[in-house]
Parts: sequence; structure tokens; C-alpha cells
Amino acid sequence: MRRPVQAVLLLLAGAAVLHISLLTELWLRYVKEGLRPYLIASGLVLVALGVLGAIRDGLPFFEGLGSSPGASEADAGGRPDSPARSSRAARALPGGSEEQGHEHGDSHEHSHGHDHRHGPGVAWLLFLPVVALLVYAPPALGAYTAARGNDKPVAAVAAFDPLPAGEPVPLSLSQFIARVQQDESRAVARRTVLLTGFVTPAGGGDWYVTRLVVSCCAADSQTLRVRVHGVPAPPADSWVRVTGTWHPDGTLGTAGAVAGLDARAVRPTAPPVNPYWDNVPAL
Amino acid sequence: MTEVAPVRERPRGVTAPVRFGTGAVAVLVAAGVALSLLDHPGFRAWETIAVALTVQALPFLLFGTAISGAVSAFVPERVFSRLLPRNPALAVPVAGAAGVVLPGCECASVPVAGSLIRRGVTPAAAFAFLLSAPAVNPVVLVATAVAFPGQPAMVAARLVASLVTAAGMGWLWLRFGRPEWLRMPARPTGHRTGVSRWEEFRTGFQHDFLHAGGFLVVGALAAATFNVLVPRSVLDAFAGSPWLSVLFLAGLAVVLAVCSEADAFVAASLTGFSPTARLAFLVMGPMVDVKLIALQAGTFGRAFAVRFSAATAVLAVVCSALTGWWLL
Repeated sequence: MRRPVQAVLLLLAGAAVLHISLLTELWLRYVKEGLRPYLIASGLVLVALGVLGAIRDGLPFFEGLGSSPGASEADAGGRPDSPARSSRAARALPGGSEEQGHEHGDSHEHSHGHDHRHGPGVAWLLFLPVVALLVYAPPALGAYTAARGNDKPVAAVAAFDPLPAGEPVPLSLSQFIARVQQDESRAVARRTVLLTGFVTPAGGGDWYVTRLVVSCCAADSQTLRVRVHGVPAPPADSWVRVTGTWHPDGTLGTAGAVAGLDARAVRPTAPPVNPYWDNVPAL
Repeated sequence: MTEVAPVRERPRGVTAPVRFGTGAVAVLVAAGVALSLLDHPGFRAWETIAVALTVQALPFLLFGTAISGAVSAFVPERVFSRLLPRNPALAVPVAGAAGVVLPGCECASVPVAGSLIRRGVTPAAAFAFLLSAPAVNPVVLVATAVAFPGQPAMVAARLVASLVTAAGMGWLWLRFGRPEWLRMPARPTGHRTGVSRWEEFRTGFQHDFLHAGGFLVVGALAAATFNVLVPRSVLDAFAGSPWLSVLFLAGLAVVLAVCSEADAFVAASLTGFSPTARLAFLVMGPMVDVKLIALQAGTFGRAFAVRFSAATAVLAVVCSALTGWWLL
């Protein structure tokens, strides 16, 4: 990859990172919330590198403008049919044959001393995530992943506070699961609770209200799910607010109890800004 | 990757704008192919995970390549020869223990280790650093303690098994390693008279980042593929057997390529498995995974990455099993 193209790639990559971290909240679809400052800093560094690169080495079609000594002579004024040029072209192959590209690259650089104006061809692959983020940010993970993922163990709760008065009681999925499986006072019995999450079909018309929880990035997502009884499944991946009471299955307050809900009402709701945060729903 | 194959048919000797144009067209074709597949939820999940792995690793990769660029441009070689013991066999454990100072995940340590070798550090010591840094730094150890509340033995076992594996690989390289396996791609190295050190820093940083970044994408695509294709429910089939479960979770760490700062949380969720099997997951993940193999192949050459990762995997499983039997 030639230096002027590298400058374009760095500028686009910086723009993509700033787009998802600074200008929008898209970063929440991919990584944990706390990574935002690091992403913004990375975006600024990439833009700075790209601007410096554009000043020193020029941009494609405007390579003569570069201030770096010799930046233009090898590229713009070069000999189009020279062997060096075609070996450079071979090195610019994206990914497909890394070995070939590399050995070419090595022999070229050794035989021509230290001409590093032409960076690694494998860098072309960086255009894939950069363009994906800029033109179409992939959606947050949903039912497909939740149905195949492993369940997140709910942390042991030392002591449960009394449930707030008033119906329904809004709970996060992990709070509800902990109440069902750990609360020996069985405070959740005969109370109507409100849960939110997205719909994961389980086959045969059964479904779960689901959350995915991420510790670092979307690759390590884990599933929280509560079986919903009594209401037909809404479309997969749609976000819903479910009110209902615990569906008796096992002994409440012990690990043998199954987290399920006899639903009274299921209403559609807007997806949350942070798709991987198991928050307590607002009433 | 096959989506960008059309570039290969590019005729020789085309002019620069045409070549840029073909590259841009190839990228657009790739994006078009991707857009047409959008309807399948598995493909969307794959896409999201591949992008997420890349986005997550990006700050660490930039950090690592910035250090690598700075080491090449500003740090004289004699600094490292003074800091490390003269005897390579002693330098290995010292470098392994020095891994605690790099607060990051594995993506940062590969370019740093590469720059250390270029600055004259004996490769065995640089490899010990490469393997230990992502596993034993304070950020990762704290994350492990948080993920395994009330089980400090898991943190200790991870520290011990990772350090022993890292030092063991350094010594193995001293004894059996061959320099010809190590084929580091040429790049701007060291300070040359007449060139501004800042310009050397910029070009070195930029080269290292783009190079490692390309391989990061290769690794992220591979890891996302495994992540989507391996249903976690098959895990339960292996949880019962003590030996198979160790091997299986070690293999899972290789294909999932979860960042070392998060892998403890994944290990904690694998509740059906023995503590030793989960330890193998924690020791293997930061040292050998598909993303790292791609990064190492880019930084040190393919012949090296294949041999080194295979040997590290074996040693990591052995060290995890012994440490687990001793501490857990």
C-alpha cells in the first residue's frame, strides 16, 4: 500500500472511530461503555497520523503536493512498467496470498535498501471494518447469539432489600433471576414484576425475554433469559416490556427454581441505547 | 477475504489512479456482497463480532505500535543491554516478570516484542515478555479476581502458570530455536543520521500500525467465524471428563480469541467445567489464539508463528494442568 493511500486509510479509520465513539453512541454495540475515551483518543491519533501523512506524502491524485523529500518522485514520476513497480503491485494484494505478498515485499526491500514508501499490503483489509463502520454500522447482537450463547451466572446476593411498594415492581433480569433462585424470604412470590429485554424464540412457540451482557467486547457476550408463559411470541429481536408473576417451577428461593414469568401483558418498546446493559426498566 | 480477490487480476503496470480506483472498487464490491447477505442473522452476528473485536483491539494496538515506534526511534540499543542480564538464560525470566508493566491485552504486546528484538534484545527474552505481558499485568489480574470472587487461588494459579509457561518458552527458544524461523519483515529501524527522529517515529508507528492492523482484521474475521459457528451448548458434552475438558477449554480459548482483560468473565461463566480446565482457558487465551497467530505471523513470519504457537499451546496445557493440580 502506497503512502498516499495509507494517509487516506488512516483518515478514514480515524473518522470511523470518531463516528462511533464521539459523534454517535454506536460504540455501545461493539465494546464496553468504559472504552469510549480510549476510542476517542485512538480516533484523534489516527486522524493526526492521516493529516501528517497527507502533508508529508500527499494524497492519491495529489501526490506532488507532499512535502516529504522524494515523496513524489518515486510514485508520481515513476516508470510505470518497471519491475520494481510490479513487485510493489504484487505486494499491494490484500490478504489473499499473504505469503507470496510478504516474500515479495522482503526481497524487494532488501534489494532496494530501505525504501519504505510502500507499506504492507495486508493493510488493505483494514478498509473492511472501516467502510463497514462508516456506511453501515453492524447491528447489536440479538436473538441469534442469545439462543446459542452460554448463560451468565448470576452473582450471589448477600442480602436482599425489601421490594419497593407498588405494582408492578421493575427489576433487571439478573435481579429477577437472583430473587427467584436465592431470596429465601420469597419476596417475589405473588408480586407483579416488570422486565424488559428482547425476544428470543425457543421453538414450539415458547420464548424468552433476553439480555446479552458484555464484559469487554461483543465477542464475549453472555445471556440472561427468563422464560415467558401465556403470551404468544412477538417477533424475534423485538424489544418488549413484560409484566407478570413468577411461573411456579421448582422451589422458590432455591437454586432449583426456574426463572419464568406468567405474563399478563407484553408491550413493544424501543431498543435501549446501550444494548448490553441489564438495567432496571423505568415504570 | 475472497471478496476482494478481483484486485489480483489487476494488469501489471497500470497507473496509480487506476490502481487506487481498482482498490476502491474492490472495497465497494466487498461491501456490496456483504450488504446482500445481510438478511441472515448469523451473518449479522458474525459481522458485529468481527467489527467488535477490531474496535476493541484498536486502542491497544495503537498503544503497542506507538511504544514500538518510540522504542525504535528514540531508545538507544545500549539501554536494553544494561537493563537485562547479560546471560540470556537469566534474561528470560527477568523479561517475563517485566511483563507486569505493560497494562494492556495481547494486541499491544506483539508489536512491542517485535521492536525489542529489533533493538537487540535476545529473542528468547522478548518472547517471554510477549507471552507473559498480556496474562500477568495488574489490569488482567484484577479482572480475574473480580470474575472469581472468593477464589484468590485462581488469580495465583493464573499468575504462576502464565509466568512458568512464558519463561519455559523463552528457555525452549534458547535451546531449540533457530534464527531462520524468525523472518521479521523489513521496516524503518533505528535512528539514521540526517533523518528527523520524529519523522522516523511517525513512519515507523504508521507502518507498524497498518501492518499489525491488517493482521488484526484477519484474526478478527477468523475468531468471529468460530464464535458464530461453535454453539456453546456443545461445551456441556465435554464438561464431564477431566482430561478432555482441559484440552477442550484450551482449544476454545484458541478459537474464541477473547481479549485477556475479559476472558476471566467468560471462564467464570463456564460453570460446568473443573477449575483446572478453566485455568487452562485463562493461560492459553492470552498466549495462543487465532487473532494472535495472525498478528505474530505478520510480525515474526509464518514459519515462526506456527511452530511457536504450537509449542506454546502444549506447554500452556501442561503448566495449567500441573498448577491446577497443585493450587486449585
